[in-house]
Amino acid sequence: MDLTGTMLHAAAARPRVLVVSMPGGAAVRLAAERQLRLRDWPPATTPAQADLLLVAGPLCPYLNPALERLWQNLPAPRARAHVRTADEVLAALDAVRARLASTAAQRDQETPAETDSRPRHDRRHEQSAEQDGTGGHTSQEKAARDGEHGEESVPDRGNGRYIGSGSDHSSRKRHHGSHGREEKKGDGGDAHEDHQGHGGHGGIEMPGGLPMAGQGEDRDGLTLDRLHVPLGPLLSDWPAGLTLRLVLQGDVVQAADLDEEPLFASRPVESFWVQPWLRSAAGEAVGSGEAVRRRAAARLDSLGRLLMVAGWPAEAMKAHRLRDDLLDGAPAAALASRLERLARRVGRSRTLFWLTRGLGVVTARDARAAGVSGPAARADGDVAARYRRWLTDIRHDVARLDDSSALDPAEESPRGRWDARQPPSAALVALLPHLLDGTELAAARLIVASLDPDMDELAAHSSEGAARG
Amino acid sequence: MVEAGAWWTLLAAPALLLGLAVLAVTTDAALTARDAGRPVTVSAAMRPLLAVPRALVAQPRRMPAPDRVLWRAGVVSVPVAAVLSTLVIPFGNVAVADLSVGLVWFNAMEVLTWAGLWLAGWGPNAAFSLVGGYRFLAQGLAYELPLMFALISTATGAQSLRVGDIAAAQDGLWYAVWMPVAFVVYLAGVLAFSFLGPFAYPVGQDIAGGVLSETSGVDRLMLQAGRWLWLAAGAAMAVPLFLGGGAGPVLPAWAWSLIKTLLVLAVLVAAVRRLPVIRADRYVEFAWVVLIPLTIVQTLVPALVGLNR
Repeated sequence: MDLTGTMLHAAAARPRVLVVSMPGGAAVRLAAERQLRLRDWPPATTPAQADLLLVAGPLCPYLNPALERLWQNLPAPRARAHVRTADEVLAALDAVRARLASTAAQRDQETPAETDSRPRHDRRHEQSAEQDGTGGHTSQEKAARDGEHGEESVPDRGNGRYIGSGSDHSSRKRHHGSHGREEKKGDGGDAHEDHQGHGGHGGIEMPGGLPMAGQGEDRDGLTLDRLHVPLGPLLSDWPAGLTLRLVLQGDVVQAADLDEEPLFASRPVESFWVQPWLRSAAGEAVGSGEAVRRRAAARLDSLGRLLMVAGWPAEAMKAHRLRDDLLDGAPAAALASRLERLARRVGRSRTLFWLTRGLGVVTARDARAAGVSGPAARADGDVAARYRRWLTDIRHDVARLDDSSALDPAEESPRGRWDARQPPSAALVALLPHLLDGTELAAARLIVASLDPDMDELAAHSSEGAARG
Repeated sequence: MVEAGAWWTLLAAPALLLGLAVLAVTTDAALTARDAGRPVTVSAAMRPLLAVPRALVAQPRRMPAPDRVLWRAGVVSVPVAAVLSTLVIPFGNVAVADLSVGLVWFNAMEVLTWAGLWLAGWGPNAAFSLVGGYRFLAQGLAYELPLMFALISTATGAQSLRVGDIAAAQDGLWYAVWMPVAFVVYLAGVLAFSFLGPFAYPVGQDIAGGVLSETSGVDRLMLQAGRWLWLAAGAAMAVPLFLGGGAGPVLPAWAWSLIKTLLVLAVLVAAVRRLPVIRADRYVEFAWVVLIPLTIVQTLVPALVGLNR
């Protein structure tokens, strides 16, 4: 065996995996995360760190350009897999790892790249531009929205992980500008002229032909660069499908806007976490114990996500393991002691309390006014109050796992009282822009994670509406 | 008494440091395996080392308009500074170079990581990487001054900047015992300059890995290795500064040095897993209002004792 082959094989023994959850892909994501944990394939948070790209759930046409950009950003050796249902996860993981370890598969992938003499990032942009070109009206819309940003042009500082509003626009220009002159490496001048027309930055040569960031006053009265950084829809430890467009100065969020793209209109989506409620509403007999189990697992999922964002991976891992065991149908007795330890360590952590205290306060009255029910409303306070509320609720729920009575429709779903026309997550999402204003990026992430809206609930709602309308 | 080692210690010191770092990484991996419900075996613990072949086959990464020179310089300087810091750390009674300003040398190398991480964050020209770089500066402002006062406390106690003298001055009573504040602050400082655990703020998960978010291949390996090398170097330095160096009954000096280093390293690895990331916006306040006055008072104690002797 040749040296490269051996190395490839060794490296593929522990690939880093970027799991991208599509709308309605929660069940697949959970199955995948469970497998990754058991196999010790560490999760990656950016394409730069990843060897494998795992797309979980049914494809969503709107996200295709973003996915394609993610894939272009993965450094070789790399492999991708698309898993539609939870049953396919095992086979897909084995197949994709085999492809990663195979010299032949990796060489095939590299062939087109080797004939191309331009730097890698140019190629990447061109490919993403082509993708956008075929993307139909979505990319057009995106370009139009970019125009609205006016004098604050958007530098391509984001990486491919996110739908970068600025990069699409400039890369398309660049693509047309350099088309047919593949051998000319130093075509920065042409691209630069393009940008002069676009951004109006005078005669200054911009590095890489990127537009400069606009400036504006920040909260302390200093003039700082404004960066437009979209969070989501494909971000790790983030509600899948949620997109927030942030204006950042330093790491302070000056403005946060919800992106209300018709993300789901194309096809119906069922939220995994509220399945028992949906089935019960459809007239099926559902036991309380089953619903309560699902609810506890949902909150452990949220808790694990919050702990990841808070930078406590060791405890997040324990929360995720408990979640997986719950979904596997483990009896309460098998979980009780581990849950107790987690609740003690996290719930009583003075450090975590000190770090999350005072962030994103939602009083019970605000919550009622916004239509929020569930743990976020009952917590009546900040991020710390909310995760403590979750822990209390999870312990209560785990005590009720064996409840065999029929599900009472008034029983709270994971994010609040279930109402198909007014899903509880919609109210949580509506709270976000106001809560995030003026916070630091780290605090903003913690606030989002502590509310953790389930975007699939909204999708189910909008597709229902579309079907009716 | 500490003496300068023969030429081969110049090779042995980095090798020993690497060994300690690998031990720390594998211990951490074993603990992770236990938490994840996987069998805890030797091969499970060794799995993080697969990052080495992975880094060697990985394609280097280019971003649009990066600052390539500064990026590389930053990435390389983190592990290199960690290795250079070991020159003055005595192992038993031997150090590679027993400089008369050894303590300052160690501190200077540690401050090099400031530049290194900042440049590594700046270089790729990406938002989250840049935020990560900024975060390290904020964190640095919070941890560095208390750490320096902690180091100065030991130098004041021994009335020398030579690491060997500081170890020798603890004959009978370890500085860890009568300068507990300095000891704890020093250990926190070690976690901070290795940006691990509670001080992983510049590589935070919430900003998709921050400084690490755009690195792949060898670059990433360098930064990750740099973190654990620094953890090992910090643990090794704690021994002459606070735990009496190689002094101890029965066993030879080098054995005591090794045992003490491993114990400190174990404490640090446990701390890495035990706490969430402490954000600089909260930590700066704590550091300047509580830690700096405390460490100044701590420095005063050996100063007054020294004057009255």
